[in-house]
Amino acid sequence: MTRQDTSANETTWQLMSWERLERLVPLLILVAVVAGIMLLASQFGIVQQRRVTLGFISLISVVGLYVFMGNSGVLNFSSVGFMAIGAYVSALLTMRPQVKATFLRDLPDWLAAAQFDPITGALAGGAAAALVALVVGLPIMRLSGIGAGIATLSILIIFYIVLGNWTGVTGGQRSLMGLPTYVTIWNAGLAAIGAIVLAFVYQESRSCLALRASREDEVAARSAGVRVVRERLTAFVLGAFICGIAGVFYGHFLGTLRVENFYLDPTFLYITMLVVGGMRSLTGAVVGVIVISTLAELLRLLEIGGRLPALDVTLKAPAGLGDVVLAALMLGIILFRPQGITGGREITLRGMRG
Amino acid sequence: MVNSAHSEHMHRKPCIWTEADLKGCSDMELEASGVTVRFGGIRAVENVSLRFGIHEIVGLIGPNGAGKTTLVNALSGFQKPRSGRICLAGKDVTGWRSDALARHGVARTFQAVRLFRGLTVAENIETALLSTGLARSAARARARDILGYLHLSNRADTLASGLNYGDERRVGIARALAMEPKFLLLDEPAAGLNIGEAEELGQTIASIRDDFGCGILVIEHNMALVMKLCERLHVLATGMTLATGTPTEVMADPAFKDAYLGAET
Ligand SMILES: Nc1ncnc2c1ncn2[C@@H]1O[C@H](COP(=O)(O)OP(=O)(O)OP(=O)(O)O)[C@@H](O)[C@H]1O
Ligand SMILES: [Mg+2]
Repeated sequence: MTRQDTSANETTWQLMSWERLERLVPLLILVAVVAGIMLLASQFGIVQQRRVTLGFISLISVVGLYVFMGNSGVLNFSSVGFMAIGAYVSALLTMRPQVKATFLRDLPDWLAAAQFDPITGALAGGAAAALVALVVGLPIMRLSGIGAGIATLSILIIFYIVLGNWTGVTGGQRSLMGLPTYVTIWNAGLAAIGAIVLAFVYQESRSCLALRASREDEVAARSAGVRVVRERLTAFVLGAFICGIAGVFYGHFLGTLRVENFYLDPTFLYITMLVVGGMRSLTGAVVGVIVISTLAELLRLLEIGGRLPALDVTLKAPAGLGDVVLAALMLGIILFRPQGITGGREITLRGMRG
Repeated sequence: MVNSAHSEHMHRKPCIWTEADLKGCSDMELEASGVTVRFGGIRAVENVSLRFGIHEIVGLIGPNGAGKTTLVNALSGFQKPRSGRICLAGKDVTGWRSDALARHGVARTFQAVRLFRGLTVAENIETALLSTGLARSAARARARDILGYLHLSNRADTLASGLNYGDERRVGIARALAMEPKFLLLDEPAAGLNIGEAEELGQTIASIRDDFGCGILVIEHNMALVMKLCERLHVLATGMTLATGTPTEVMADPAFKDAYLGAET
């Protein structure tokens, strides 16, 4: 091999590794943004910190929703149901036996007596959600469009009813109290970063490319050899795992679980976040959560009523304004910018990438 | 190459209904035998038998609504026949899923092209390559080769939605080629191209057969292209086989002249 060949090879090699680095840029920016928010918020008081922590939990859940819905293009209303599974499984594994004895009389003996550490509980919560997703996903992954919407909504309803009536294990309609509240802005922020990394690694995989192809054109994807059901199921299970972890954090953040917290309100909130940000990109998921959380917070403050000291005027918005504004925003996005704020692209140093 | 394939086909031409049908098609053939497809009352394809080998270019022609696309759908697993069998390399593959057939060497393009519009041209090709089991880096390199082969190198990083019509059609062919097909089914590849482009495409198709060593079944309305490109024709009309044979034979066939040319002109 001549010298020239060698140097040409070296250049190609450098190009390739630079290309690889460049692909990581969106991930690095998103992680930096979340880390920045985490550091900034930690300088504020406990009330503000708790609002941001809740935002991080939403972020985990919306990233989980994105993994399946964004990459497959298939409507999914069930993600909050998988949050519930994660939350209850972790609760049952980590609550103190004395507390369980007070609220849950019908637990099997081993479970009533057991108390695991938070990490085991969290991983088990995520794993349980993933396992359930594998079972319910198998029959419904061939659906798309309205069929998928109805099927996943049915799953959410079934989870809700089962959890709400399985009184011996979940406390049923009463609240389940006494979860260890170990969630801080730090571990929630790190979990959000973990969810982003997981979603990004998946999105760069061959499995996800096949899934995105099926999103663009299912028939053509089959002609390109794509096993559509299998690829969808992979994303559905991974997304459910991430949502399960979000549920774990939610439960141990509040310390109390109520089935109502895992039903329609958060379902539509998370879908709004994803759609507004742009459901075809991870950046869209993150941007949507940040924008909607910030907006919701401002509207909440406005509803409570606030005084602008400089102008000496009191602002007070009518109750319910927040929900109306969010719904109107969703409508506006769907009508005028259907790919969301990000247009379905990832963020890069130069702007947005396709 | 073209010559040898031609003589080979001449050799095998009389294999329309022989004892071979009893033991299925040979190793090198894709075959539909007695295929019938109906949509409600519409007889889209009625008892059609067609087979072609891995070095042949066969034209599937017929007026609009004749059932050409439906037959290709049946051959590629997108349409389950109501009766009849599909046979690939000696194996009965009737009822196989389309993605499995694609991975086993039956690739196709679509009349409506159907690219993955939100993905780049390179990703369109890589999707197909990866499903054949290639590693990522190998797929990337191979995609570059295939795009180069079809003169699409400078389009690799454009979104498929941003292509012009001719490029779009060639990307469709590139995606099918990425499946390493033994049998390539092209549904009106020259539709919408001008005369020069169509001619160029004809040459590309002929060289694909030689360079990739695959059999090609091409649906085409452009008779000049068909006559030049195909060694054998299969004519459908209202779902039924009207004529088969070499282009010259078919053109001389009175049934063809009546039904097809008569209707077209
Ligand atoms: N999915 C379907 N449902 C109902 N009818 C169909 C369907 N697909 C095709 N047909 C009908 O079957 C017949 C054959 O259609 P096909 O598309 O195979 O024709 P074609 O030869 O490809 O025509 P063209 O040259 O216009 O592409 C037509 O009458 C068509 O209307
Ligand atoms: Mg057709």
